[in-house]
Amino acid sequence: MRELLLAQNLTKKFKSNSALCDLNLTVRESEILCLLGANGAGKTTTINLFLGFLKPTSGKAFVDGLDVCENLNEVRKKLAYVPEQVSLYPSLTGLENLDYFVKLSLNNRLGKAELQNLLDRVGLNKSAANKRVNGYSKGMRQKVGLAISLAKNAQALLLDEPLSGLDPSAANEFTTILRNLADQGTAVLMATHDLFRAREIADRIGIMKSGSLVKDLSPTSVDQSTLEEIYLQQMRDTELV
Amino acid sequence: MNKAIIAKEFTEIVRDGRAIVLFGIVGLLLLLGLVTGFSTESTRSQTVFDAKVADAEVFNAQGAKNPHSAAHFSRMAHKPVAPFSAFDPGVSAYVGQVVWLEGHYRNPAMFRAAEDATELGRLENFSLAGVLILIIPLLVILLGYGSIAKEREQGTLRQIISSGTSLRSLLLGKFITVFSISFAFLVFSIVLAAVTSLFVFEASSQPLTDLFLRSVSLLFVYGLYTAFVTATTLFISAIVQEAKNSLLILLGLWTVMVVSLPRLSASIAEKVYPSPQSSEFWEAMDVRLSENRLDSSSAEYVAAERVVIERAFGKKLTESEIENLAINTRGVRLEVSEVIDSEIYTAAYAELFKNYANQKNFRRLLSIFSPTIALQHLSQAFSGTDVNAHEHFSNEAERQRNKIVRVLNEELIINDSGENLRYLAPPEFWETVPEFEYEYPALEIAWRQSGADFFIVLAWALFSTVGMFWLGKGRLEV
Repeated sequence: MRELLLAQNLTKKFKSNSALCDLNLTVRESEILCLLGANGAGKTTTINLFLGFLKPTSGKAFVDGLDVCENLNEVRKKLAYVPEQVSLYPSLTGLENLDYFVKLSLNNRLGKAELQNLLDRVGLNKSAANKRVNGYSKGMRQKVGLAISLAKNAQALLLDEPLSGLDPSAANEFTTILRNLADQGTAVLMATHDLFRAREIADRIGIMKSGSLVKDLSPTSVDQSTLEEIYLQQMRDTELV
Repeated sequence: MNKAIIAKEFTEIVRDGRAIVLFGIVGLLLLLGLVTGFSTESTRSQTVFDAKVADAEVFNAQGAKNPHSAAHFSRMAHKPVAPFSAFDPGVSAYVGQVVWLEGHYRNPAMFRAAEDATELGRLENFSLAGVLILIIPLLVILLGYGSIAKEREQGTLRQIISSGTSLRSLLLGKFITVFSISFAFLVFSIVLAAVTSLFVFEASSQPLTDLFLRSVSLLFVYGLYTAFVTATTLFISAIVQEAKNSLLILLGLWTVMVVSLPRLSASIAEKVYPSPQSSEFWEAMDVRLSENRLDSSSAEYVAAERVVIERAFGKKLTESEIENLAINTRGVRLEVSEVIDSEIYTAAYAELFKNYANQKNFRRLLSIFSPTIALQHLSQAFSGTDVNAHEHFSNEAERQRNKIVRVLNEELIINDSGENLRYLAPPEFWETVPEFEYEYPALEIAWRQSGADFFIVLAWALFSTVGMFWLGKGRLEV
């Protein structure tokens, strides 16, 4: 299977602080890799390096074989991104926000029915879609963010703690959509603190610590409590360090 | 992509109640500027028209009178209302509107502080141009300060950039939105000013094409200036992390470049090239006139006398023919002194206007720190209200004075003889004295005189726009 996301000895330093040290990871098509780790472990930095928001100090990031630094515009066309807080324009409706970002992403417009269909897929009904987003809950915003990513039909999806603050039902809907996307060939890299969801949805689970990938596990090889134990053990080690 | 950005920007502006209030305030200020300019200029226009008619009636009805007495009574040269004076009154308030065309003297224009009034304080005029120059940059700043900074703050910039949209496209879309709103206000103001000029100041009888070309020229230079302000606003918004800092920096720049520097530059220019006080100017003129007075036996004087006599009779005359002529010799002396003094007046006024030109050049030099100064020059030039336009009027009035005095002196030379001034011109003679018909210098001349100002504004607009797009090419912190 194609390696859609590849990090090779990726290092990022902010002055003297190392945010990422020689990170090597791969996410193949139809694969979901969940990155776990304490705050500051390097999860968001990894996503930012793939998106080209940051320039690596050394090493390289590749998207579908393209070096991110050298092919930034091409790379961004292949990626979709859902941040922890999906930012939308408050004076526009959910549908208008989606329409705007779709036009920017695809350089093309979708019909109103197609847009509504996308929102339906993420569970945002017509009545909510036509309301201005200044009255939206976090879950509703996340759904619009996911719809934007769906519309792009990207090869790889980067998610930065998209489940934080979502109620269990919304989180469940969200992960179901992610699974469907992966089954259709999308490579998913998701940073999260939610061990339960990670184990439920991921094909692989990576645990990051101090900018390095210290564990790369298969969810089928560990049960929930073992995963929790491994994770906590890593975190304790961090505290000791 | 750009269409999507522009459409979204407009939707946000329309739905933002504050923006609508802002547009209302700007529109009201512009209308107020227009009404003020219109009111001042229509009063001036009517006054000039009435005074011109009254002056002609009084002059033509003086009955039998000695031409030399009439030369002191004489006529007035009234400056018609400039093509776009309701838009930009320029220096109109500081230079005179009427010149008394008296024998022996080149009088300064009346109904103004003094001939030495400068452009200082032109911004105190509440006019449409004044409002545009002050308010349009403020409107652009308020519309654009958060263009990028706010997107960064609320996180939408990351979403946009990650969608594959380049920062350059985003900047272009926002530039077009902010620029077109501001440009719409410019079009509204200049079209209203042109319509006002066309229907209200018919007396100025400017050709329609001239009015149209002046409108286009004004729109063009104000458009360039707006492009500069828009690009600078977006540039600052893109490089500053927080919208409030962007607003503070831009308001600081507005205070310095739009409000303070133009005023300061006028004060500095006045210090560097001081205008003479009226009394000083006339004292120096008296000294110059007496120093240059020719001895009546000098060769130069005799040659001038000959020119005056031949001109009065309209033909070449021999020495003996001149000796045998029955002419009024005092009349000849009066005309000779007019010819000699006129050159001195011309030189002195040229120096005075040169001093104003030096002040203007100095201000132009300071426009490397603010294009507002160059824009003010262009606005006044295309409106026909700058110092150059006044110089043109002043010189035309002097030509008219020379013409009238010559007609009166020649009437005396030909119809009287000896040394006295006993001759009385018949009542119908006064109507043969030519009327003063003034036409403002063509727009082409204003363009030629304003080349440097235009290139300064153009350079600022290009420099800032290129700078903004150069920024868009690079990787910006999102």
